[in-house]
Amino acid sequence: MGFLEILFSAGTLSQILTGLSRTTILFIVSSGLSLILGVLRIPNIAHGSLYMIGAFTAYSVISFLGGGTFAFFAAMVAAPLVVAAIGFVMERGFFSYLYDREHLMLLLLTFSFALILGDLVKIFWGTEFRSVEPPAFIQGSAEILGLPVPYYNLFLLAVGPFIAVFLWLVVNRTKIGKISRAAAVDAEMVSAVGINVGWVFAFTFVLGCFLAGLGGALIAPMTSVSLGMDHSLIMEAFLIVIMGGLGNVWGALLGSLIFGLSQSLGIMVWPQFGIVFPYLAVVVVLSFRPRGLLRSVW
Amino acid sequence: MKWKYAVPLVLLALLAALPQFLPRFHIYIIAIVLLTGLLATSLNLAIGFGGIYQFHHAVFYGVGAYGTALMLTRSGLPAPLCLVAGPIAAAALSLVMGIICVRLSKLYFGMLQISLGSLVWAIVYRWYSFTGGDNGIPGIPVPEWIASPEGAYYYILAVTAVCMYALHRIVRSPFGKALEGIRDNPVRSEAIGIHVRLHQLAALVIAGFFGGVAGSLFVVIDTSVFPDMMFWTYSLEVLVMCLLGGMYTFFGPLVGSSILVLLRTYVSVYIPYWHLFLGIVLTLLIIFLPDGVLGFAVRRFRPKEGRLA
Amino acid sequence: MLRVESVVKSFGGFKAVNGANLHVEAGEIVAVIGPNGAGKTTLFNVITGHLSPDSGRVVFKGREIGGIAPHILCRKGISRSFQVVNIFSRLTVFENVQIAVLARERKTFRFFSPVRNMDAEEVHEILRNVGIYEKRDVESDLLSHGDQKVLEIAVALGGKPELLILDEPTAGMGPEETERCIHLIKKLSDELGLTILFCEHDIGLVFEIADRVMVMVRGGTVVQGSCEEVRRNREVQDAYLGESG
Repeated sequence: MGFLEILFSAGTLSQILTGLSRTTILFIVSSGLSLILGVLRIPNIAHGSLYMIGAFTAYSVISFLGGGTFAFFAAMVAAPLVVAAIGFVMERGFFSYLYDREHLMLLLLTFSFALILGDLVKIFWGTEFRSVEPPAFIQGSAEILGLPVPYYNLFLLAVGPFIAVFLWLVVNRTKIGKISRAAAVDAEMVSAVGINVGWVFAFTFVLGCFLAGLGGALIAPMTSVSLGMDHSLIMEAFLIVIMGGLGNVWGALLGSLIFGLSQSLGIMVWPQFGIVFPYLAVVVVLSFRPRGLLRSVW
Repeated sequence: MKWKYAVPLVLLALLAALPQFLPRFHIYIIAIVLLTGLLATSLNLAIGFGGIYQFHHAVFYGVGAYGTALMLTRSGLPAPLCLVAGPIAAAALSLVMGIICVRLSKLYFGMLQISLGSLVWAIVYRWYSFTGGDNGIPGIPVPEWIASPEGAYYYILAVTAVCMYALHRIVRSPFGKALEGIRDNPVRSEAIGIHVRLHQLAALVIAGFFGGVAGSLFVVIDTSVFPDMMFWTYSLEVLVMCLLGGMYTFFGPLVGSSILVLLRTYVSVYIPYWHLFLGIVLTLLIIFLPDGVLGFAVRRFRPKEGRLA
Repeated sequence: MLRVESVVKSFGGFKAVNGANLHVEAGEIVAVIGPNGAGKTTLFNVITGHLSPDSGRVVFKGREIGGIAPHILCRKGISRSFQVVNIFSRLTVFENVQIAVLARERKTFRFFSPVRNMDAEEVHEILRNVGIYEKRDVESDLLSHGDQKVLEIAVALGGKPELLILDEPTAGMGPEETERCIHLIKKLSDELGLTILFCEHDIGLVFEIADRVMVMVRGGTVVQGSCEEVRRNREVQDAYLGESG
């Protein structure tokens, strides 16, 4: 087929929809990373591992509860909470004592946590692939323009905007969100005003981890849950965060859209080098807007 | 004055003697330690001495390796030329990437470099016909005089020693001092007449070149290349080596890389959950040795000076 | 030697410098004083090339220098120290000044010569002149604040300037250190023949050593003249001195 025919065919739509559902996951995970990087200025390498733990935990919860709709939603709540708890321990137990260290050392610390968490997953869940079925009410595929689109993908597409709006409300309309943003710019000032910056940081970090866990839980029915999930995602998440603007939730959404769509379209247009397109997109964006598309917090 | 050369020379002599009584496998590992040490030291020129957030250094390692590998397998040119071609390609790429990225600072520089580097990786990963794709290139024909394990080892030892010496001279030169000044205070450097961007670019090209040398050395000892050599997680590992060993010392990265490679090779055999172990060790080191292993040693034994001679 | 004519510099809508005038003769010590926010540092930034003037001229030794980048400007004979201590924190005192000398002599692209004792004599001389020679091997972020401010000036001296511009050299200093700094400035002018331009808050200090004073209020030059003239000037008294003048 010619290029234009490819672009405007039903296959395109199907690819786009798949790309967009992946975008939702990317967005959820990246927004968490963006908040952590924006407010705490920590490049959280362990973010991918937390995402992976979210996926495995969701698997366990669903298996334990015997599958079904209730199990699914229970997992969607439980898994992020578990990951958030881990994040709380990481922040309160380690990071909070080391904020005055050399910036890069904090990166190194998150790297070591990534190593530890990765092996903990291996210890608890072994090395096999796991798979999770989507709950009954969204199993199967719809037919759109003659091509099958899994209902689960549509579900993710619907969920995405909700989470985006919810996050935006938290960050911009709640008191704690506003304080976090202030702390990102000038932590000393916030502290001087009498607010316990430590808890602000803890809150933000825990929220970021919650999002990573949620992303992992949500993707579980869509892909095989396995070791190594963390590696591929973490780089993509970082690139999206930088592309979108540090600490900017909408930026993470925009970045995820660009990344997800360019990958889907890329694979369609040039299957062999499809995966190159997202990186090309990032390079192009950063060349013109090195601080990201939308405003960074710092 | 002269005695400070004694330590490296003794070490060199020791290393040269090793093949006489160590089995082949361990010689291979020592060679890997050496070239990885060179790789980490080259990164540290940019990050420790230059303060440049070189977050994707492995690209130059990979390009150096692939450059040499492709030349050896396809070009029919004499081997010495091929061995040099890799590092030159890496330096050229470093120049191009540097020109694009150097106007940014710190984190943004690092991120743009990661995206450019990932682009290169993705291309190499998918270009089956040229680079072998995700299989890499096995069985590279290495010239006879360095094809044997001992030959390869001595070649790597010699090249690494020369390159480390060169890097040491560069670090202790006016250029190195200017670079440190830029690291500590780019505004003031600018104000006293140092063209910051130009110096940073030079540092990047040098770092890229020696990273590429490390890559070509890997081809010699391993006779293969694969795309993971330039994947971002390896860049992180090399960065970790620098931080672990001590970013502000010259030999810190070598110490860090030795620790990491040796631990991984010899300890992971006995410890099933090797990453967990490494993660815990690193965490402890970060908490208790904020300047890295060598940095800590220097501060402890030489409190007046900040750095190793 | 230096002439600033009607320089204007705004940020957004805010005119930080609004028609400032200044002239400095060779060999003089000239001070710029004014209340906080009067635009002194901005003016200095314009003079030294960190900022470009929106309008107006900066002329040094007959040549226009408005908008020339700092790293080029410092070769023309102007060196500057900064209000907030701006030194190379991980380097020793010796190395701090050495870098300035190396930069001036364009040696910074030498890759293989050992730098350890390069230009040591010149560096030692500068360190002796400012009085921190004994601390030459101390890592500079371990120095006391007063010593750091002195090092700040020493680094500027490494550029062998004809005109030395000091931005609030005594900021954050106690009375002893301030005395020391003032004596240093006098000494640099008397013994080394430097032309010195500095800005300050403390008017008493300024009247001690300045040959001429320029008063800045809200971005503009109110008066420029000898200490006596400034002291007697009505506007200055109103705006600034109060009863203590």
